[in-house]
Formats: sequence, structure tokens, C-alpha cells
Amino acid sequence: MELIRVQFKVNGDQVDLSVKPYETLLETLRNRLELTGTKEGCGLGSCGACTVLLDGMPVRSCLVLTAEVNGREITTIEGLKQGDKLHPLQEAFVNHGAVQCGFCTPGMILTAKALLDRNPKPTRSDIIRAISSNICRCTGYKKIIEAIEAVAQREER
Amino acid sequence: MKLPKFLYFRPKTIEEALATFTAYDGNAVYLAGGTDLIPRMKLGLKKPMAVIDLKGIEELKKVRVENGTIMIGSLVTLFELSKTPMIKEKFPALFEALLFTSCETLQMRGTIGGNILQDTRCLFYNQSEFWRKAKGPCVKTGGERCHVIGAKECLSNYMSDTAPALLSLEASLKLIGIEGEREIPLRDIFTGNGVSPFSLRPGEILCQISLPNEVTKGGYEKLRLRGSIDYPLLGIALSGSGEKVKIAIGGIGPIPKVWEGKLEEIPSGMQKLSQETKAIANTILDPLYRKEMIPVLSQRLAKRVFGS
Repeated sequence: MELIRVQFKVNGDQVDLSVKPYETLLETLRNRLELTGTKEGCGLGSCGACTVLLDGMPVRSCLVLTAEVNGREITTIEGLKQGDKLHPLQEAFVNHGAVQCGFCTPGMILTAKALLDRNPKPTRSDIIRAISSNICRCTGYKKIIEAIEAVAQREER
Repeated sequence: MKLPKFLYFRPKTIEEALATFTAYDGNAVYLAGGTDLIPRMKLGLKKPMAVIDLKGIEELKKVRVENGTIMIGSLVTLFELSKTPMIKEKFPALFEALLFTSCETLQMRGTIGGNILQDTRCLFYNQSEFWRKAKGPCVKTGGERCHVIGAKECLSNYMSDTAPALLSLEASLKLIGIEGEREIPLRDIFTGNGVSPFSLRPGEILCQISLPNEVTKGGYEKLRLRGSIDYPLLGIALSGSGEKVKIAIGGIGPIPKVWEGKLEEIPSGMQKLSQETKAIANTILDPLYRKEMIPVLSQRLAKRVFGS
């Protein structure tokens, strides 16, 4: 099997790998780069647990081939904190009790980040629309929505 | 969940993509957004030798207006298209269908071409290889009998939200293949056979979707259980300008149905169409209920759009 050379950025760091053509981005992130913050849920694109940002846009990493991301930029949940400081969304999720089992949290936060980056002042229905891409089986979504709203209402982020 | 083994190619031109397809003797598939293809490969429903990623072909990513026609490149994502002002202004049926498709994250990845050419679905087909093995092959997986009706017929459901909208808008498709280029009305792409639902010739690539550049009235109604990430169990698109309206119905059976008539003929027309529709127990909702919802949703839609 011929391997494919891919060069891309993950959380600001350049990586240079030879991957199998049928390797998913999720497998590369978790198994090769040990970025296990990205979770595998359904593996079929339905649940959103494996969401990462590809050039700032949320994607299901279980549906993306690593061969497809040559030259692109990936952000995972590990890339959000600045030094020891949590990202405002991470902080808000903690403060609002928006994390229970935590499995959907990385995907939720990255979906929310992409929303706030393209629409800094979303309405409640914009938030609901965006995070309806992700399934949470614990919280009932209310606290997640409140956490994102709290960050959106802050002047500086 | 693991993907089967395949080779990956990313051509930069349509010619290069066709040459790769030919080189693998047709044992290749085209990849666009991957939101339909990748899960099918993971379930072992598709095991190609080569995957040809079309996303390197830039000319398929543009929306253009020329001589009274709006031409949408097949690789334009559903999200981009929903954010294109003229789609919202001129084609409300398509605009609503785009918003109703799956969820935002998948709309950002899924393309309009891929949405049209998504495979038909069935409770007994879209399952893991392990699950299907226990039941034995159905007609769509090469068996002799459908697990639902027991006959050698496949009535799997075509579940694109955008295709009914495009049918109601009289869209046409530009296809480029090994034998050359052709332009066909969208309705001609459907075979009505769930085993192979599209009349694509080997290697043919859907390159462009064209719509008449006219302002229309319209909308889309979708029957589903969840408010997000759900396939339509019935999808009804209506478009019209003035007296005549066109209604297209998806989500039931392998081919969308198209009806044309006057506004006041909708109740009787839809009643008749509902009676003629063959629905079977291959989704999570009762087939009779889905059939009966055809006139209900059509009239609700007509009332919302035309206020009568």
C-alpha cells in the first residue's frame, strides 16, 4: 500500500506525516498525534463528537481523510488554551455546569468557537442552530446554550 | 469505525479525474464532501479500489449567472449556497431545503452535487456489515428478495432535501463523462430503481446545476422526527410564479414525484398522488402515515406560500 505524504498544521504546529490513503483525520489525531481530546462517537458523522476546525470551519474528523488536509490548518480542543489559561468558552462551560460526562464537550466547544468567530453576536436561535450539529446525551443542552451566550455577551474575548 | 482499503487521488481537472476513473476500470468512486460516501464505505456498502477526490477541481466550486441562467458548480457546499443572496431572493424552495438539510456542520462539508447524487436509503440497507450478514443480502446488496416486501424490487428511499426543490424549479444538470458532455433535465437522472437510482453513465461527473434566472415563490416542508440531522421521511417542495405551481415530493421511494397544476387543484392532485404512492415499512415511520402526510404537508405549504 502506497503511503501519502501530508503536511499540515495542528494547533499551530507543522506536522509532516506519511499516512494510509484510507486513514481518517480522527485516527491520525488520536492515534498518531495523541490528541485524544477529539472523541470518536458514532464514526458515521451523526453525533459531532469528533468535530475539529479545518481552516476555522467545523468538520467531522471521522468523515475527513487525512490525505484531504494537505496544506490546511487544524484546530483541536487541545489548541484552545493560551498557556495555562483556559479559552473563554472552556471557562464558561465549566462555570455554567455545561459539562457532565464530557464526551461531547470538545466538539461542542469547537462548534461554538467556529460560530462566534464568524458571528460574534449570535442570537439564541443562531446558537441552537449551530450546536444542533452536536449531540449531548447528559445536559439537555440548556446549560451549553447559556455558556455560549455568556461568552457572546462579553465585550472582549 | 474503520474504512476499507483504497487508493486516494486528487485530480486538478475533470479530464484528469476521468482518466483516473478509466485507469481503474470503473472500480473507482468520486468523492465530494464525503458525508454520504464515507459512512457507506465504513459500513462496507461500497468497496472501491480508488477514491477520486474532486475537491481539487476549482472550476466546480463557482456560482455564475449567464444568459438568464444561474449555474451552480456541483462542489459548492450547501452552506455556501444557503448564504448566496440570490438563492434566498429567487428560489425560496431551494433556500428552505438547504436550511433543512442535516445540520450546519454537515452543510459546510456536503456539496450540492453530492446531495443530489446521494444513494437511496433503507432501514435494512444502511446498517453495518455484521448486522446485514445476519439477515442475508437484500435486493440492493445483490440478494434475491427485499426484506420488507419479499419481492425482487427495491423501494429504498431517495432522501435528498434539495433535489425536490430543484425539481420544482426545473433544474437541469451538466454531466461530463468519458463519452463526452451532456445536459439533461434533473428529473431524467432518476431511474426509479432503488438498486441503482441514477442514470449516470460510467465515470460521468455531475459538474453543474442550472436554474432559470427568475424570481419564484415557494417553500419546502419536511417530515422528520428530530429538528436536526434527520433525513426526510417525506419532503415536499413547491415553486411557482403566478397561477401554475410545481410540487416535487421526495423521501418516499427511489424516485421523487413531480406534479404540476393550478393552485386550486392541489388538494385533489395531492390526494390522487398520495393514493398512487407506493410506500413500504423501510423507515422509522409507518408507511401509511407518510403517504397520508403528502396532501397534509402540501396544503400546509401552499397556504404558507400563497396564503390560501
